[in-house]
Amino acid sequence: MPKIKNVSDLEKLALRRKKENSAYKKIITVCAGTGCSASGCGDVLKWLRVELSRKKLTRKIKIRTTGCHGFCEQGPLMVIEPGNIFYCQVNPNDIPEIISESIASDKIVERLLYKDPATGHKVIREKDVPFYKSQDRTVLGQNKLVDPCDIIDYISNGGYSALAKVLGKVNPETVIEEVKESGLRGRGGGGFPTGKKWEYCRRAEGTPKYVICNADEGDPGAYMDRSILEGNPHAVLEGMLIGAYAIGASHGFIYVRNEYPLAVQHSREAVREAEDLGLLGKNILGKSFSFDIKIARGGGAFVCGESTALMASLEGKVGEPRPKDIHTTDRGFMDFPTNLNNVETWANVPSIINRGAAWFAGKGKGKSKGTKIFALTGKIKNTGLVEVPMGLSIREVIYDIGGGSSTGKRIKAVQTGGPSGGCIPERLFDLEVDFEALSNAGSMVGSGGMVVMDESTCMVDVAKYFLSFLIDESCGKCVPCRIGLSRMLEIINDITSGNGTEDKLNLLRDTAQTVSIASLCALGKTAPNPVLSTLEHFREEYDAHIKEKRCPAGVCKALVRYRIDKKKCKGCGACLKACPHGAVVKKGSIYGINNAACQKCGICKETCKFCAITVA
Amino acid sequence: MNGTNRYVTLKIDGAIVHAMAGTSVLDTALSYGICIPHLCHMKDLMPAGLCRLCIVEHVKNGKSKVTASCTLEVEEGMVILAHTEKILKARKNIAEMLVAEAPNSRAIQDIAVRCGVKNVRYPFRNKACVLCGRCVRACGEIWRSKSLGFVGRGSERRVALPLNERPEYCKKCNACIDLCPMTITPCPGPMKKGEEYLCGLCESQLSMAKDIEDTCVSCRLGDGFDCVRKRS
Amino acid sequence: MRVSGIKTLIKSRKSPTDLIEVLQDIQASYNYLPEEALRKVSEELKVPLIEVFRVANFYKAFSLNPRGKHLITVCMGTACHVRGSRRLADELLGMLKIKPGQTTADGKFTVETVNCLGACALGPIVVLDGKYHKHMDASKLRNLIQNLRVKQTGKGNAKNKKRLRS
Repeated sequence: MPKIKNVSDLEKLALRRKKENSAYKKIITVCAGTGCSASGCGDVLKWLRVELSRKKLTRKIKIRTTGCHGFCEQGPLMVIEPGNIFYCQVNPNDIPEIISESIASDKIVERLLYKDPATGHKVIREKDVPFYKSQDRTVLGQNKLVDPCDIIDYISNGGYSALAKVLGKVNPETVIEEVKESGLRGRGGGGFPTGKKWEYCRRAEGTPKYVICNADEGDPGAYMDRSILEGNPHAVLEGMLIGAYAIGASHGFIYVRNEYPLAVQHSREAVREAEDLGLLGKNILGKSFSFDIKIARGGGAFVCGESTALMASLEGKVGEPRPKDIHTTDRGFMDFPTNLNNVETWANVPSIINRGAAWFAGKGKGKSKGTKIFALTGKIKNTGLVEVPMGLSIREVIYDIGGGSSTGKRIKAVQTGGPSGGCIPERLFDLEVDFEALSNAGSMVGSGGMVVMDESTCMVDVAKYFLSFLIDESCGKCVPCRIGLSRMLEIINDITSGNGTEDKLNLLRDTAQTVSIASLCALGKTAPNPVLSTLEHFREEYDAHIKEKRCPAGVCKALVRYRIDKKKCKGCGACLKACPHGAVVKKGSIYGINNAACQKCGICKETCKFCAITVA
Repeated sequence: MNGTNRYVTLKIDGAIVHAMAGTSVLDTALSYGICIPHLCHMKDLMPAGLCRLCIVEHVKNGKSKVTASCTLEVEEGMVILAHTEKILKARKNIAEMLVAEAPNSRAIQDIAVRCGVKNVRYPFRNKACVLCGRCVRACGEIWRSKSLGFVGRGSERRVALPLNERPEYCKKCNACIDLCPMTITPCPGPMKKGEEYLCGLCESQLSMAKDIEDTCVSCRLGDGFDCVRKRS
Repeated sequence: MRVSGIKTLIKSRKSPTDLIEVLQDIQASYNYLPEEALRKVSEELKVPLIEVFRVANFYKAFSLNPRGKHLITVCMGTACHVRGSRRLADELLGMLKIKPGQTTADGKFTVETVNCLGACALGPIVVLDGKYHKHMDASKLRNLIQNLRVKQTGKGNAKNKKRLRS
C-alpha cells in the first residue's frame, strides 16, 4: 500500500472503505475480546465463515471481528447491522438459524435476544439493552466499529483525522492548551492533569524526549486498558502521536503486559500498519514531524505500573522505583524528559482534538471531566466494562447499569482502585464517582476496577487478600513496604485465625500509618489503604473475628465449620462422593461432616442441590 | 551541576544552613550536627533511600511531603522539618520494625534506642540481614566489581552472588563484611533465637545528651561505620 | 544446550536495554532460562552477570527451573478472589502436592498463580496451556486434571504400542 503523504490521501482511503462497506448488504460484528474468546467466539466465527461460504453469501455479507464490547457476562456477542440486532451467548449451533433468519431475511431469532432480568422482556436492539443504555461510550464505543487489525477501518471512522488536524497547522503549545482546557486527568490512578504534565515535559531541557503508554495494567479487577489496546489500538497510537507532537518527543514506547498476548499482538500489528502507511516514521503526513513507537513486553511485575519502575524496566533493568524528587518529565527514560500516560488517557486524546475541549469538559462534574471506563466485577449481575461520565453515583453504576447483586444477597461494599484503593460501604453509595470524592472516602478511582462484594465476602479476608497481593508484588527495596506489609499480614493472619487482640489491632493501624507515610514509592504509600478503609468502615467485622472468634461471612477457614442441616438433607449422598478428603460420613439415612477431616474446601456445599450444607 | 560550586541556603528544623548544590539534605544536616538517624546511608556511596529512617518533611508551597533526606538534594530556600511529631512517630516505628527483624546488631539496637523505641511489639525474627545494601553498593560503586546484588522480589529479596557462586572477578576486598551493620553484635553478646530483647545499653548516654546541647551521644553506631559525629 | 541457539535468539539485539526482551524470547523457546543462557546473554549484551541474574529473578515471566509439560495458571485477581479462587488454588496444589511456582515430581504439571488476567467478568479463571477456562469450581478443576492425566497415560500407551508393533 502506498504511503499517506497528506491529508487528502487520508480522506481518500476513508471514502474508499465507506464505499466498500455500503456495498455489503449486512455487516455482522462479532466480539472477539478476551472475554468472548474464553466463552468460545472462535468457534462461532469459524462456523459463521463456513456457513456464509456454503450459502455463497461471502460477497454480500461482511464479518467484522472486533475487540471487547464490554458486556462480557453475556458473551459471545454478535451485532447485526443494519437493525442493531443484538444476540448474546451465541453458540456455533445457532449459526445456521441466524443466517437463514436474520441474514437471508430480516427476521429475528427470539431465543438469542437479551432478556432483561428486571422486566423479563426481550430486547432486540443493542442500544436498548439496559446495560448499554445509561452508558456514554465515547472511548469504548469505537471498539465495535473497527477491526483492530485493519487500520483502514479506523481511518474510515475518522481515525487519524485529529492528527491531521494539528500536524503542522496548530502549534504544539495550542494543542497542550486544548488538552489543559478539556480537564483531562490521568486515567491510570493518580488523576494528574494531562495537559499540565505535557507542558512540564515540553519545557524540560534535553533531547530526545520520550512518550510512553503505560499498558502494564496490573490492578486485579481492572481490564479496560486491555480492551482498548486489543480492540482499538490505533486510537492509542493517534493519541501518542498527538502527544508527541505537542511535547516535542521523537520516540515512544508501549509497555504492555506479557499476560495480555492479544494486546501485544494487536498493538504490534497496529504499529506495523501505521509504519507501512507512513503514519509512524519520518516526516509524517508530509510534515517535518517524525515519531516512532516500540512495543515492550512487561515481565510480569505489578510494581512496573509505577512510572519510575516502568522506565527502569524499559531500560532492561529490574523494575524498582526510584525516589521521585526529580520528576520523570525532567529525567525519565535513560534520564531524558519522558511523558508517561496510561492507555485510556491516550485513547481520549483524539476525540478531544476532534470535538474540542469544551465538548469533553461538558461531561463529568467538578474537577473530574469526561468519561471513565470501569470494570464491574464480583458479585454483580452484569459484569463487564462500563463507560460513564464522571460524577455518576456509585449506586447508579452498580444498580442501574450493573443490575445489582448476582447472588440475591445484599451488596455490602464495593472495592475501587485495586490494591491501592479501598472498600466503600453500601451506606456511602450515593457518593459521586470522581477523583476527589473517592479519595476522601479512603479509596481512589485508580485505574477503574469496581469489585462488588456481598454478605458472603469477609472484609478482613479482603484486606488480607490485598496485603498478600502487595507483599508478593512489592519490589522489597524499602523497609516500610517490605517489613511493614509483612508485619501487617502477620497481624491479620492472627486475626483471621482467631488469635487477634485489641493491642494487635492498634499495632496494625500504627504500622499501616508508617507504611503510608514513609514508603519510597506510590505502591508502598497506598498499600495500607485496603486495611485502613476496611478498618474504618467495617470495624464490626474485625471485632467479630477478635472478640467473638467468628467470621460473619463464613470465609476465614480457621473460624468456620461446615454443617449439614438434618432437616434439609435428603440423603442423596452427592456430598459423600464429591468430598475429596473423606470428611463426609453417613449417619443413618442422612449425612454428617467429620470436622477433624474437613479441609473446608467447600466442594460439598457446591455439590448439594438442596442447600443443606451451611457454613458458620 | 553546571560546574561552578554554587552554595544554597536552606532551613532545617528552623536552623539556617548552607550547602553546596548537589549535596543531600541528610549530609547537610549531619555536617551541622543535626542528627537524623540513618542506616543504609554512607558517605562515599550513592544514596539509595532504602531504610527510610532519615525521612523528613519537605515543606513546599504550604504543602508538606514526607521523603527520605538522603535522596533529597538541597535547593535554595528549602524548608525541611526533620523532627516533627509525625516524622518521629513513623521513624520510631521503622526502627522498631528493624530491631524486630534483626536484633543481633549493635548498630540497629542503637538506632532503635535513639529513635525512642521502648518495647518491641512485633515478634522477633532474628534475621541475619536487613537488606541495607551497604555491601551491594560498596561492591558495585567503590570497587566496580558487581559481585553482589539484590536478587528476588518482595519477601524473596536477598543479597546474592551471580548464579549463587563467587565470580572470578570478586576482588576479595572484604568491604562487604567491613561495612555490614550485622557484624558487630549487641554489647552483651549475640542473642539466640527465641531469646532476643531490646538491649538499650546506650540509653543512659542518650538521656544525658538531651540535657547538654550540641553533644554527641557517642552511641557507638560510628564504630566501623565512619559516623560523621565521631570525627569531631 | 546449544549456545549457538541462544545466539540466534539474541539476533542483533546487543544493547543492555534489550535484556528483558531477549530473556523473554529465551524463556519462550526453552520454557525456562538455563544458566548457560544467562552467561551468554551477559557476555553478548555486555550486562554484568549479577544484573542478568537479578532480572531473571525479579520478573514473574521468567523461571530458572524447567516448567512442567502442562502449565496451569490460576488467576488470583480480586474478582476471581471474591468468587473463591483461593480455595481453588489450595485444592489444586493439594491435589498435585506442590506449591505455587513448583512442578510436580513427574514433570507433568506446573502450577502458577497470576494476579489478574483481565478476564474478570468470567471468574474464577484457570488457564490450562493457554486456554481460558471460565467460571471454574473445585469439581470442574478436578475433572480437568483427571482428564489430562488419563489422556496422557492413554497417549503414552498408544505410542508404546506403536513402537512395539514396529
